[in-house]
Amino acid sequence: MYRLLTKQVLRSRSTVIVTLFVLALGIVSVLMGEQFLNKQQRAIDEAAHYQREHIQQNAQWHADDLGLLLYYLRFTFINSFDPLTALSIGQRDVNSSIQRVTIRGLEGQKYDTDLHNPANLQVGNLDLGFVIIYLFPLLIIAFTYDLLSEEKEGGTWRLVASQASSPLLYLGYKLSVRVGLVYAVWFLLWVFALLRLPLSLNVNTLVFIGLSGLYLAFWLALCAWAVSWQRSSSFNALSLLSVWVILAVLLPASLNSLLANLYPVPEALSTMVEQRDGYHEKWDLEKETTMKSFFAEYPQYQKYPLPEANFSWLWYYAMQHMGDAESRQSSEAMREKIRQREQASRVAAWFIPPLHTQLLFNDLAQSSLDNYLSFLDETEDFHEKMRLYFYPKIFEDASVGKENWESFTPEYFAETPEVDWFLAFAPLLLLTVGLFAFAVLNARKLKALE
Amino acid sequence: MFNEISRLIARQFWSSTFRSGIVYPILGLWFLMVAYAAYSGWESYTTHNHIRSHYQQETRASWENNPDKHPHRMAHYGSFAFRLKHPLSMFDFGLESFTGNAVFLEAHKQNSVNFSEASFSTGLLRFGEISLAMLLQVILPLIIFFLGFSAVAAEREQETLRMILSQGISWKEVLVGKSLGLAALALLFFLPVILVTLVLLLFSEGGVLTTTDGWLRFIGIFISYALFLVITSVVTVLISAASKSSKGALVKLLAVWLFLIVLLPRTTQALGGYVYPAPSRVEFEADTEEELIQIGDSHNPDDPHFNALRDSVLSVYQVSSVEQLPFNYSGFVMREGERISAEIYNRHIQSLHRTYQQQNRFTQLTALINPYLAIKTVSMALSGTDFTAYRDFQQQAEAYRYQLAQTMNELQMELISNRAPAPGEGPYAISRAYWSEFPDFEYEWPALRWPAPSGIATRGGSWSWIVLFIWGMTSVGMLTYTAKRVKVF
Repeated sequence: MYRLLTKQVLRSRSTVIVTLFVLALGIVSVLMGEQFLNKQQRAIDEAAHYQREHIQQNAQWHADDLGLLLYYLRFTFINSFDPLTALSIGQRDVNSSIQRVTIRGLEGQKYDTDLHNPANLQVGNLDLGFVIIYLFPLLIIAFTYDLLSEEKEGGTWRLVASQASSPLLYLGYKLSVRVGLVYAVWFLLWVFALLRLPLSLNVNTLVFIGLSGLYLAFWLALCAWAVSWQRSSSFNALSLLSVWVILAVLLPASLNSLLANLYPVPEALSTMVEQRDGYHEKWDLEKETTMKSFFAEYPQYQKYPLPEANFSWLWYYAMQHMGDAESRQSSEAMREKIRQREQASRVAAWFIPPLHTQLLFNDLAQSSLDNYLSFLDETEDFHEKMRLYFYPKIFEDASVGKENWESFTPEYFAETPEVDWFLAFAPLLLLTVGLFAFAVLNARKLKALE
Repeated sequence: MFNEISRLIARQFWSSTFRSGIVYPILGLWFLMVAYAAYSGWESYTTHNHIRSHYQQETRASWENNPDKHPHRMAHYGSFAFRLKHPLSMFDFGLESFTGNAVFLEAHKQNSVNFSEASFSTGLLRFGEISLAMLLQVILPLIIFFLGFSAVAAEREQETLRMILSQGISWKEVLVGKSLGLAALALLFFLPVILVTLVLLLFSEGGVLTTTDGWLRFIGIFISYALFLVITSVVTVLISAASKSSKGALVKLLAVWLFLIVLLPRTTQALGGYVYPAPSRVEFEADTEEELIQIGDSHNPDDPHFNALRDSVLSVYQVSSVEQLPFNYSGFVMREGERISAEIYNRHIQSLHRTYQQQNRFTQLTALINPYLAIKTVSMALSGTDFTAYRDFQQQAEAYRYQLAQTMNELQMELISNRAPAPGEGPYAISRAYWSEFPDFEYEWPALRWPAPSGIATRGGSWSWIVLFIWGMTSVGMLTYTAKRVKVF
């Protein structure tokens, strides 16, 4: 029976075309992901190479003034990526994974964006996450919307119902053939991704795979439920596609504009302005005011006397630091706003499976907004580490030549994503089981001769 | 071409759609979406423009309130440019969410335009945005397909088609009539959107409708979308006529929708990025800096270009040291350095944008088979939310930055002594009166350049504009062509 039913599915030309199409796009998406990884790696290599040259050059130009040299020197801090990023690029294309900061004020540097073609950002990436979240549901809809109605509309239903021991069982067989096909495509794509990309089969990868499988199960259950209402093919096609549009386009998009309007971020602009003013206004104030606040934060530097001259690096870097200190409040308020957005979208995502899956994919792939915020925090620590290393040397006017500049290579931040298993799987599992149960209940009322 | 019979068929199609009742829930849902999109557009426009003009004014005030100081301190104090949204961005968000909004303008350095909406997004943005334009481009075609898929195919299934044709009504009259009826339905959905847009524009600050430019944009939008909806209606009827069953027609139409709206743009854009790779920021900056070092870097104390410049200046003024020059020499050096670095930067950024345009060309080319992309490009250009508009902001901001830096350099050359201040003497300063003399940054919308609006004047824009018209002509031509070929069964 299975062989015949499989043959029946594969005989339909459009089914085969749609399947091959999804398969082909899936393969392309993995290659796109690979290209993204390569591009990231290239940028990292360039940054490392550039840093070496840049330090060498400047150390030569400003060999007798360490304070001036460090005015120019930029140190690279990199948000390292996981190969999983290739499968869900998330926010990684918008937010830069490479920070190159001087030891001057950080707030004026850390939000600098990468160069983008906004048209690319707008249409979005073609990654495996997209294929799973958007395209697989369509494949599933195309496979199942006329599961029952094609028999009724083609006039074969009476025949089937009178011959099969149980019409419900027959539908079960038909459905399982399609389920098998969907998962076969899914399985092939994963095999390809695992072979092609440097993925390791760790917990995160397995959760990613499991989640994608469960997401497909949700759509299969949804379609089974729709079919169990025994409406016409056209009605099913229309309503299932409408559900897809609502779940995958309208709801997330409405939510996005709602959150953007509920939580505007003027703090971003005030941070920018306060940082500038916090630093620049110090030029016009008594030096003592600046030094007092600076020493309050870093008492260990009190031992350095402030030179008599108009200008000194001790005063200069203290002023620079004041820019950060005075914009800290706004900067934290901005973080708080973004965190609120993040939280609100996570709660809403429990009810919108595509959104839920997307956010979790991004978490696992270290391409979420959360990952970026942690990276910004770590950048702050990195910046402080560099400052505190160089401050005493600058204040003592140490020799440029004595420093081992070769040792300043890029440093890395690596996040270990922690996913709450229960929250990851529970919403999808609940919906899938619920819908499938309803589908079976509905279908049990199915009579052959209706 | 709309003879009485066509009009009769159109009216009949219209009334039977309403009789079936299906159109009411769709209309209800549509109005809900339109209301929400209008609200979001309005809210986002007013909030952001308030915030941005507030900071623009605030930073201007603090610029003017600076005390007497050295002009080079002011050049570093710098200024900000905040990007104001075009009132029509309430209708079409375009690329707005993906472009930066604020940039710090200072001497020596072209900072990046930061804080795009996308950079604050949790990943939701990737699902798209709800704007009035998006509803017209993405959702309305789907509704037209829903309402029209059975237009001819159902008549064929119920064998009424044979009856109609046997009464002496021509195929052409049937196709034209059905298209007309469907387009009229589409208009029913479209007109409220246009009215809502008109109301938003009338009540918004920025008063875009007080200018001819604003009206032309608005009318351009109206005509382009009307054309797009007619094309969509005709294609729906044609596919319905070419299908054996209405189920077949529906499945074909849905496949067309998915392919043209969801899949094709993403694929072609990815292809463009693959074929024309753009440099990363690190690479871009390294290239720019390398060229700067070759031509002349004023930060290098032994730079050959600046050494030669010093020697020639000294010989022109017939003095032996820069301290004897009649103007401030370091101001002069910085002016020259700014000129060189700005020129190099502009050249590099132009070449970067050329690369972006090449990337986009794949997508623009496919407008030939995809009217959705044509209307999308035209709509963004008319709404002032496309890449050209953003480029324009960047250029204005950079021009202002350059002017600021050079004005301060010239003030330094003119008013600051060449001799280093003696110990105990404070740093040199000039009067704060000079600060308010320097004009504020005022962003000006790029105006329509007739016959094509800016943005449309770019190759991609005018191309999409033409393609949309070609589509309009072709679809009407296809009606006649199909009428001759199509079979009753």
